[in-house]
Amino acid sequence: MREAEKTFISGLREKLVEDKIIDESQLDPDFAKEIVKYGGKDVMTCLQCGNCTGVCPISLKIDYKTRSIIKFCQFGLKKFTLETRWVCATCYRCYEHCPADINPAEVMIALRHIAIREGVIPPFIKMAATNLVKYGQSVKPDPEIERVRKELELGDVPSRDQEYAKVVREINLLVRSTGYDRLIGIESEVKS
Amino acid sequence: MNSSELLGGNEVKRTPTEANGNSSGPRIGVFICHCGSNIAGTVDTSKVREAAEKLPGVVAAKENKYTCSDLGQDEIIAAIKENKVERVVVAACSPRMHEPTFRSCIQEAGLNPYLLQMVNLREQCSWVHSREKDKATEKAIDLVRMGVAKAAKLVPLEAREVPVEQSSLVIGGGVAGIQAALDLAQMGFKVYLVESEPSIGGRMAQLDKTFPTGDCAICILAPKMVELARHPNITLLSYSEVEEVTGFIGSYEVKVRRKARYVVEKKCVGCGVCADSCPVKVDNEFDMGFGKRKAIYVPFPQAVPLKYTIDKDNCIHFKTGKCKACVKACANEAIDHEMEDEIVELKVGTIICATGFDTYVPMKRGVYKYWEYQNVITGLELERLLNASGPTGGHLIRPSDEKTPKRVAFIQCVGSRNKKIGVNYCSRVCCMYSMKNAQIIKEHEPDTEIAVYYNDIRAFGKGFEELYHRVREEYGIEFIRGRPAKLSEDPETNSITIRAEETLLNKITERQFDLIVLATGLQPSEGGKRIGKILSLSLSPDGFFMEAHPKLRPVDTAIDGIYLAGCAQGPKDIPDSVAQAKAAAASAASIMAGKNVKIEPLTALIDESLCVGCGLCEEMCPYGAPEVFESDKGTKAKIVEALCHGCGTCAAACPQKAITANQFTDEQIASEIVSALGGIGVTAEKAKKAAKKAEEA
Repeated sequence: MREAEKTFISGLREKLVEDKIIDESQLDPDFAKEIVKYGGKDVMTCLQCGNCTGVCPISLKIDYKTRSIIKFCQFGLKKFTLETRWVCATCYRCYEHCPADINPAEVMIALRHIAIREGVIPPFIKMAATNLVKYGQSVKPDPEIERVRKELELGDVPSRDQEYAKVVREINLLVRSTGYDRLIGIESEVKS
Repeated sequence: MNSSELLGGNEVKRTPTEANGNSSGPRIGVFICHCGSNIAGTVDTSKVREAAEKLPGVVAAKENKYTCSDLGQDEIIAAIKENKVERVVVAACSPRMHEPTFRSCIQEAGLNPYLLQMVNLREQCSWVHSREKDKATEKAIDLVRMGVAKAAKLVPLEAREVPVEQSSLVIGGGVAGIQAALDLAQMGFKVYLVESEPSIGGRMAQLDKTFPTGDCAICILAPKMVELARHPNITLLSYSEVEEVTGFIGSYEVKVRRKARYVVEKKCVGCGVCADSCPVKVDNEFDMGFGKRKAIYVPFPQAVPLKYTIDKDNCIHFKTGKCKACVKACANEAIDHEMEDEIVELKVGTIICATGFDTYVPMKRGVYKYWEYQNVITGLELERLLNASGPTGGHLIRPSDEKTPKRVAFIQCVGSRNKKIGVNYCSRVCCMYSMKNAQIIKEHEPDTEIAVYYNDIRAFGKGFEELYHRVREEYGIEFIRGRPAKLSEDPETNSITIRAEETLLNKITERQFDLIVLATGLQPSEGGKRIGKILSLSLSPDGFFMEAHPKLRPVDTAIDGIYLAGCAQGPKDIPDSVAQAKAAAASAASIMAGKNVKIEPLTALIDESLCVGCGLCEEMCPYGAPEVFESDKGTKAKIVEALCHGCGTCAAACPQKAITANQFTDEQIASEIVSALGGIGVTAEKAKKAAKKAEEA
């Protein structure tokens, strides 16, 4: 049973399988407009040709179908698109091939914006943001990384630099003044 | 207290007759149309009527449910007679719809037909402001006031009649051009058919079979080609180009360049001995480069006229001055290497433009490796490979090793429906020709495995859906819904793997094929673009020629006396091309049968006393109507009325203000502007204030 479900609804969206039937209450008719607001192109012009999926390096490796995400957007199935995994590397190959001249990569970015604002925030975003306000870099300083850097003669990580504390303060100021901390729920981490 | 006191000191209560009858201007009738609910549903027409009644000069203002109906027209006629109306304002739809209707209506009542002013309350008011009813009513009142102001300044004009030449020029000898020429010739008109290639037949002659019935293309076309060549009313000018077209409906003057074919047409009997003796072998364009021809050649065996042509670029004699093998071989002494191009001048009444299409050449980077992989071919190339008189005698081979392919894939929508390459339209024939070709391949080699990669199937014509069913049910052709993403070639076998998402399965598939056929779309032909410039035809956004009206005048162009047929106007299949050709022939005939044609008086006029002969009008005019000439008073310009469309470009450009456009004179336009700014009794000061206020807002 599970295998068949995976075949038809790409396995990513177990919720959809649970719901079985999509009724009108689940549709958001203005979703396409919202995507445009957050910088995506109009998904309604998509012809569903599947060229984007075929050229997507991610689609080849895991169960992630660019075309079907665009179809969910067209349909207005917001809640499913918000749970899309953040795997798009924005390589823009889909854009290069798209005959409808949509930029699916930018639609993915718009979907991330919307997801954050709807409170669907993947844990790694909070983690990276916390690192940013703490250390001034999205990856936590790690002795192992520093050792490899030394081997490759890449110099110290900037957070080791005393002067860098000033930069970190500025990052904190920016994060606080733009409201980014409140948006993703890391207010407690931000130094005032 | 009497009413005049209520209205204030100087105001006197005005009755319609007093207000309007005493002015010296013409008596105006205003007729407001409801257009069912198209106008009245948004605009409060009774308010508009009340406002119109108060306008200066208006002696009658009436509302009608449908002014264009017999009842509505009768009311206009009655008002002209009873109220002695001298100028008519009809506030209804666009003048493009019903201006001719109302012109003939007021003419019936004895008025000059050009004393009519249309006010567009539908397209330019009610339809666009359906959500703001009050504002729409206000705008409608403004528009009517402007119309009345202009109507007061209208002057009578007279249409002119010119004789029509009883002959027609058909440009392009494809199936559309052939059909149009035959139809006109049958009706008794003289026809000149100009074709740039050595033979008529066009693209249809290249095809193997036609969809959906599977008729052999050349078998059904050849009899028409022969009939055309033999028809006494048709002069066939093959291997010729239209160089210049001047004149106007009824009397076009055309210069045609007859390219030197280095073979005297009258002497050549088409025996082919010359070609047998010719030592040069080159790719035959007609076979899309798959077959070979000689430097002296006919493109295909059924060519009409069956006269040989020397390809100057490849002929040894033109390169070295030697050879002349063909001259020695020809018993009729038909070959003349000294022949030169010849200019033929024609005079025709009408022109039919049937310049056809070119197929999209997938040469851009990323378009399915057409230039890179030998086994990727286009649909038209496949037609030649399947054609019994083609380079392989109808045996399908793949180019890399000339073996019969066992697995064939068709890729649809190449060069159509693709915004990336600026082609937004559907080419309309690719779905069906791919299915038809798939069927033919299956008939030749029943064990061939065939898949069609498609986006959407367009099987809209008569018998098309049935073919779609047939190829799936009887021939087992597989349809995969998805646009291929990547083609990769096996370097040893030259077979090609297609990676594509099967969108209906939501799975990425990879499959190997021996031959890939790209269903290339249709594009406006290069020759057609040149002709378009010569004829000053306008283009649709897709680059094909634009018809005068997409629904009601689909074969006419914006230029009177020039008609469109076939793929020059947009992608079409054969029956549609033939139908349009017949329609174009009928339209051209309807002009020529009338012997004379009326020319609208809405043209530009040049006041010679003001003209300094600068020639700016000649430069600006899109129709070539102004002509600069030398007179005893110096250099002056004049307007060739039959060419003028009354667009007013020259009038706007003229630095001397020597040009006026009839019915759009400065005085008439200014009266509209003044009334738009201030309404009744506007003064210069008030108008200035209003303009300032508008600027501030």
